[in-house]
This record gives sequence, C-alpha cells and structure tokens, in this order.
Amino acid sequence: MHTLRWQPVTTLLLSLAGLGVSIYLTITHFDKVLLVCDTNATINCEKVTTSPQSEILGIPVAMLGLLFFVPMILLCLPAAWRSADRRIHLARLVLSVTGVGMILYLIIAELFIIKAICLWCSSVHLITFVLFVIIVTSAPLVLAQDDGLDDGEQWDDGPLPQGA
Amino acid sequence: MAPDQNKRPGGGNTPKPPATPSRPSGQSAKDKSRAQSRPVTGKAPTGKSGKASGTAGTTRPSGSGGKGGNTPRPGRKPAAPPSRRGLSGAVMAWGAVGLVVIVVGVLVIVKATGGGNASAAGYTPVTPAPAAVVHDVTTIPLSVYNTVGVTSPTAPVTPPIIVKGQPPLVIDGKTPTMLYYGAEYCPYCAAERWAVTAALSRFGTWAGLKITASSHTDVDAETHTFSYYGATYTSPYIYFKGIEAVSNVPSGNYYKTLMVPTKQEYADVTKYESPTYIPGATAGEIGFPFISINNLALISGPSYDPGILQGQSWSQIASGLSDPTNPATQAIVATANYISASICATTKNAPASVCMTPGVQAAAKALKLS
Repeated sequence: MHTLRWQPVTTLLLSLAGLGVSIYLTITHFDKVLLVCDTNATINCEKVTTSPQSEILGIPVAMLGLLFFVPMILLCLPAAWRSADRRIHLARLVLSVTGVGMILYLIIAELFIIKAICLWCSSVHLITFVLFVIIVTSAPLVLAQDDGLDDGEQWDDGPLPQGA
Repeated sequence: MAPDQNKRPGGGNTPKPPATPSRPSGQSAKDKSRAQSRPVTGKAPTGKSGKASGTAGTTRPSGSGGKGGNTPRPGRKPAAPPSRRGLSGAVMAWGAVGLVVIVVGVLVIVKATGGGNASAAGYTPVTPAPAAVVHDVTTIPLSVYNTVGVTSPTAPVTPPIIVKGQPPLVIDGKTPTMLYYGAEYCPYCAAERWAVTAALSRFGTWAGLKITASSHTDVDAETHTFSYYGATYTSPYIYFKGIEAVSNVPSGNYYKTLMVPTKQEYADVTKYESPTYIPGATAGEIGFPFISINNLALISGPSYDPGILQGQSWSQIASGLSDPTNPATQAIVATANYISASICATTKNAPASVCMTPGVQAAAKALKLS
C-alpha cells in the first residue's frame, strides 16, 4: 500500500465535494430560484437542469449524482482503500467507470442536445473525471496486491496455509 | 523457474518487493510484513512464513498446488513477470484515461467547429428565462425603487412624453392598455425591456418570459435582454400588448419576421410616432422601440443608453437590481418608475401600494402627472 498515500484522502475529499454539489443541484432541481449561475449564450444552468435530459427514467440526474457520490464516499474511505477485499476495489473501479460514462453522455447532451453548459454540472463532471483518473491509475496497484488472496481474505503477518 | 529468479526484487504483481532499499521509509512494519507474506512474490518468505522452503517452492511445478511462499497457490496461475504485468496494468489505466480525454476533446472540437453555433451565426437564441433572472427583475426591492427614484447620474434617463387629451388606447377590446412595439435585434429595445418588465411586474404577473440578446452586428451589440414573443402578462390594472416585429435572426438584409401588428395597432403606432407628438421624429418612419401607455405617455427610442448594460450577462444585470448604487440598476429602475407613474395615471393610481410609493411619486412629479 505504500504507493497509495494521497489517493485515499484525495478521492474522499473529491467525493465529498461532489456530494455537496449534487445536493445543491438536487435542491435547485425542485426550487429553481435558488440556482445561482451566470447566464449567457453558452452558459445556462437552468436550461440544462430543466431540460428533458435532466431526468433519466423520471429520476433527476442531480439525484443520480447523490446515488453516485454516497457509495463513492464509502468506497474512498481510507479503510476501504486499505482493505484487502478485492470486491471493494473492483466496486470502486466499476463505479468510477460508470460515473465517467455518465458524464460523457451528459457532456454530449449539453453540447449537442441542450446546447447550453451548466457550470455546476461541469464541476461535478470534473470531480468525477479526476476521481476516475485516480481510481483507474491506482487500480493496477491495488488489485495486484490482492492477487494472491482469495476474495475477502485479509492480509496477515502469518504464514499462508499449506496445502497438500 | 530458477531459484535465483525467485529472489529477484519485484516478484509477483508489485512493482517492487516490500523490503528493497528504495522503498519509502514510511512503510509500516505491518505492511512490510504483509507484503513479505504475499504468496505471489518471488521473494522467499522469511520469518513466520519460513515454513515454505524456497527450494521446495521453486522446484514444484507451477500450478501444482504447492503453497510455498514463492510459488503460486493451488488453483492459481503463476504470476506473470512483474514488470510486464505492472506495465500492462498501468498502460491500460492511463490508456483508459487518455481515451476519455480524447473523447471529450473530440466532442468539444466538433462543437466548436461545427455548425449550429449561435454566436458564430450572429445571433443569440431565444430561450426560456432562468427563474432566478425573472425573480430578480420582478421582485426589485421597494427600497431600491424609492432610493433611485428618477435619478440615474451615470446613464441619464429620458422621461416618457406625456400627451394629454388623447383617446385611450384600446387593444383587443381592453383599456387601459400599454402597447410595446419593438424587435428582438434592436439594442434600444433590449435596454427598454428591462425597465418595462420590472415596471409591469408591479401591476401584474409575467409568464413565459424568454431571454435573448440584440443583434451581434448592430450598435451596442449583443445587449442581453428579454423577449416578449410568446410571453404573457396578466394584470387587473392594465392590459399589455407586446409586439416583437422581427427576431434577431438575420434573414437576407434584415431579420426574420415574428409578429405583425393589427391594422389598429399599426395605425396607433404611426399616428403617435410622428413629429406631432414626438419631437425629432420623422413622419412615416417608425423606430424601435415605440411604447404607448394608453396614449397618455409615449416612449420612442431608448430611455437610456444601452451601453450601460454592455458586457453584462442576464444574471449580472438581474442580480444587480437589488443594488441602488449600480449604474445599470439606476437606469433601469428610474425608467421603470417613469413607466409605473405613467401607468398609475391611467389606473387612477391603483394599486396604491405601487402608485403612492416615493419612487413612483417622484416620477409622477417629474412628468407633471401628480
């Protein structure tokens, strides 16, 4: 784990920041007056947050952000990063890949369908992308350290069981 | 696999073995121990893992099920050469990051260079007004109206022209009526709409307001404003008819037609937008904007210089409306007070909550309506 000193703290802080922005965007989804955002020909937060693309299957995208960042916070806790449980690291990786896939869709929607940019949304996109970069580039190290263990098995200081 | 190979630093999947000198000094003893106990490292186990003999581990065929410290555990494939696996993982990881960056970059480039860019096309599209902008312009604090009154030192305001003794304006069978005749491309209309929108919000309710900007090629280019095309206004005190004659979308040598006034509306405009009523006006020429407040107060052209709004977004203009020291706010609010006072003159000073306020009274006094 010696290569993962700053990643846990950084990803945790990023996830908390992402959660904060997502909470704000969720609130403003229902009370648009509270949406503070400069508006010009390119930037129009309200146009984005009230567009048909602002909901997926009836769920506001901002709320999906909450559903992304809450588990991400748990998966980015230092204890989770230290865990030898491979499933935790895989879950973090899968979640970050899912998140970046989502932001690619949302960027396409903003640029080509809604034709407006929401700065608050862009900040979430940036946070998600940076999380993706950290998690993906850490994955080879994190998962490699678990390679010799069975799922759920913890590192210990003792000898491994001897098989027949 | 030769024994000496097994002792190479960097066995297994990790870039470096836990105990090499290059290892960061902050490594905890526990981590060190954990790493040493790793089954896939090539380093021979020591200490408590010493049960697994290095020789036994290395002589056992790979994947044979032995659990020596330096051989794969049962059922597991032998670890790939460390450097190759580590490199492969890193390449894949950074490749994924690079792919995302490339995809986003391509999207941005396609958007920036592709057609459909409103700014490149020379006009600002008409879009629904953000609620925050509408909120700010329709809820300007009374204290701001009263503080500003009709004083706008930075951008002086031209008051409406009062023409007494004219028949009241009737449109769609309703009176008193306020007629606005303008165009989306027109920068003077752009400035005027801020004041008109604010003033009318004191007497009624707006719905469906849009935002846009004046022409990108005319004077005071791209002045941010509202559009009344598609907007509705309801009030128990005054009827409002907003006509946006043309859009801000270039078409040939002019702009696309949006709304055509009725004969009666056009007759009213041509009658009052003339030298008879408007000093300096040219007979037969209709300039934007033209506003008639029940044929009692007339506004022809801008009440204030649109340049005061230059470079400000809708949000900036709107959010500044709570600051009576803001020059743009002063121009907008002073104009709004003049318009309010003119409307009050047609509604018998109803509602009193608007018409009897110091700001409106100051405007009424300046217009000699009180």
